[in-house]
Amino acid sequence: MLQAYKQAPWRTQVQWVGIFLLVVVALATVAGLYLFISGRSAATGRRIQNLESELVALHRQNNDLETLLGEIRSERALSERIDSMNMRPLTPNEALYLEVPGYVPAEGPSFAPPPSVIEKRTPVLLPEFTSTFLEWISSKLQEGLKSPTPTSEVLP
Amino acid sequence: MSENIKTRFLIICVICSAVAGIVAFQMIRLQSTESAKALLAASENYQGESRVIYPDRGNIYDSKGRLLAGNETSYEVALDLPSISQPETVASIASSVLGLDYAQVLGYAKMNPSETGLYYQVLDNFVSQDKIIELETIKEDYRSRTAKGNEVLPNIDGLVWKAYSQRTYPEGTLASNILGFYNYLDRTGGTGFFGLEEAYNSQLAGTPREVFYVYDPQRLSTVDEVPPGVTLILTLDREIQAMTEKQLDDAIAWSGAEGGTIVVYDPEDGGVISMATTPRLDPNNYWEYGDLFPNPMPYNSAISKTYEPGSVFKVLTMAAALDSGTVERDSRFQDTGSFNIGGTTIYNWNMGGWGDVDMTECMQYSLNVCMSYLATEMGPDIFYSYLKNFGLDRKTGIDLGGESNWPMKLPGDNQWYEVDLATNSFGQGISLTPIQMVMSIGSVANDGRMMAPHLVKAMVIDGQQYDVDPVVVGTPIKAETARTLTDMLVNSLENEASVALVDGYSVAGKTGTGEIATPYGYSSSETNASFVGWGPAEDPKFLVYIWLEKPSISQWGSETAAPVFSEFVSKLVVLMDIPPDNVRMAGSNTTSGQ
Repeated sequence: MLQAYKQAPWRTQVQWVGIFLLVVVALATVAGLYLFISGRSAATGRRIQNLESELVALHRQNNDLETLLGEIRSERALSERIDSMNMRPLTPNEALYLEVPGYVPAEGPSFAPPPSVIEKRTPVLLPEFTSTFLEWISSKLQEGLKSPTPTSEVLP
Repeated sequence: MSENIKTRFLIICVICSAVAGIVAFQMIRLQSTESAKALLAASENYQGESRVIYPDRGNIYDSKGRLLAGNETSYEVALDLPSISQPETVASIASSVLGLDYAQVLGYAKMNPSETGLYYQVLDNFVSQDKIIELETIKEDYRSRTAKGNEVLPNIDGLVWKAYSQRTYPEGTLASNILGFYNYLDRTGGTGFFGLEEAYNSQLAGTPREVFYVYDPQRLSTVDEVPPGVTLILTLDREIQAMTEKQLDDAIAWSGAEGGTIVVYDPEDGGVISMATTPRLDPNNYWEYGDLFPNPMPYNSAISKTYEPGSVFKVLTMAAALDSGTVERDSRFQDTGSFNIGGTTIYNWNMGGWGDVDMTECMQYSLNVCMSYLATEMGPDIFYSYLKNFGLDRKTGIDLGGESNWPMKLPGDNQWYEVDLATNSFGQGISLTPIQMVMSIGSVANDGRMMAPHLVKAMVIDGQQYDVDPVVVGTPIKAETARTLTDMLVNSLENEASVALVDGYSVAGKTGTGEIATPYGYSSSETNASFVGWGPAEDPKFLVYIWLEKPSISQWGSETAAPVFSEFVSKLVVLMDIPPDNVRMAGSNTTSGQ
């Protein structure tokens, strides 16, 4: 009777092999996922490095273009153009002044908003890209623990 | 499962566990030894590199947003020695494109890094973008070639370049006395000299930041952007500055003066609209400073050079006399042509007496005797109290580097004598900078309020623009006094049909001829000719101060500086969009723009 309920030896072996393979597959899956994620992370990291380099290069290009514009529009360059076009400065007697009701002369140049305008800066790398899974779970749990904002019923 | 298989399985498990245990033990042991820790620390050096990021120096713009000082890309060209495979090609290209010495470059290129420990050798600095484009083209050309057979293709591997910012001044010498210069050849310890570059050096430079750049993209962290230095927006108008400099150069050439200064100032808010002096340096070539400014020549005479201004000072004496109630506009004075004080006799400029004159005529005829009388009537306490209130005993605090002043002699000082009270009243025996004169007389043009002279109108800091509020330094005289004196000076110019008058515009003004002190006394042949004037008289928009040093065609300010003022202001009103009096008065009752 005892022999009738005992597993056949080959079944036991298959079960062990199965468990082993399951562990191997699980490990392989984890390793694959790790490789995939780390590969993507490395590629993204490299892209960010390239973008940062590009940003620096663009800043320099902006400076160069602004300087070039400054040279093209410099007083010396404009004077040469004026001379080449046989133009001369206006004298007070030649100036004609027209009254423009309601006209408000333009104020000085504006290169940036005034301090009253608060600019909210977004970080380059969002927390989603830097926090670990556990940190994400923890933050979500903390969010969940916070009591929901009470809503008041809107009376008709 | 047979016992045999069980035993085998057990043995395999034990062996695997033992191996795993040994590996784990070894892993822990390796990481905990001293050499392992040292190795770990050494590996950090290969994780990335620490770099100091120098922010771009802040730009400087004029009041209309035109660039006066900026930055452009420049390059450092160097040899990355381990990467060089063809030293001769590298040396040849570097010498032909950059004009470097072939033998020297070849010497560097052939050095063995493992022997010398030298891996990186800088060849040239401040290389222009054009040269770099030329090098890039050659590099690409070599790379695009295909070898035929055993042909060895040329390459310039190991010749590398790195970009950085270089200070640049697109306007050249224009406003250089205001801007100062930045010694950009010193790439790490550069600093601003004179003018705005010195006064705002730390703000323009920004804050350098040390950043660790990781090589491992897995460990990448964001590098905060290093904000550029503060951007300055000036009260200066480039077009007016250019015209002022040209007018000054023409005036010096015409009058035979040794040098000169013209300052245009907004008396309402203290903003300097233009400021021209001689000589002028191109800050792009700042190393020429020593040749152009032999010691002790100041970089900006308008703020650094003191002189005895002469009769333009009478504006302040009369202001003090009127404001203190010593005299009124219509008070009379009997001018005998001489005035005795402290054992010294004071004479008028023509050694003559002008008889019965009122206060306007005292100014019109520029009577030293009358001024001496006024100062004496006021007494030293009141007179010098007013001079102090006009800020003449201290620097103006203008936001330019290099301002200086000459200590004012006061009663009680060892060097002060009674006669100084008289001589000071007509601008002798007292040394002042043009900007001190501008600020103090500006109060007469601005209803008694004296505004701090300044160049910076606004600043851009970390992406936000901050306006700089004008500063009232004081109110040395009452508004009524200021308006009365302005009216007197308008009349005095008109009464004498002065060459300083400007067609169509009412201007107030005063000439000045200051004798120059020498070791043997005052020289009458060499003078400082000055003129101060402001307009339109009923609502002044500008104050112009002109100083010609030792003019040779005439010693008198009325014959040298005054006509320059007239010619200059007739151009200035066009550039400042100020209509003539008749047009302005006609439209003054309505809100309008011209």
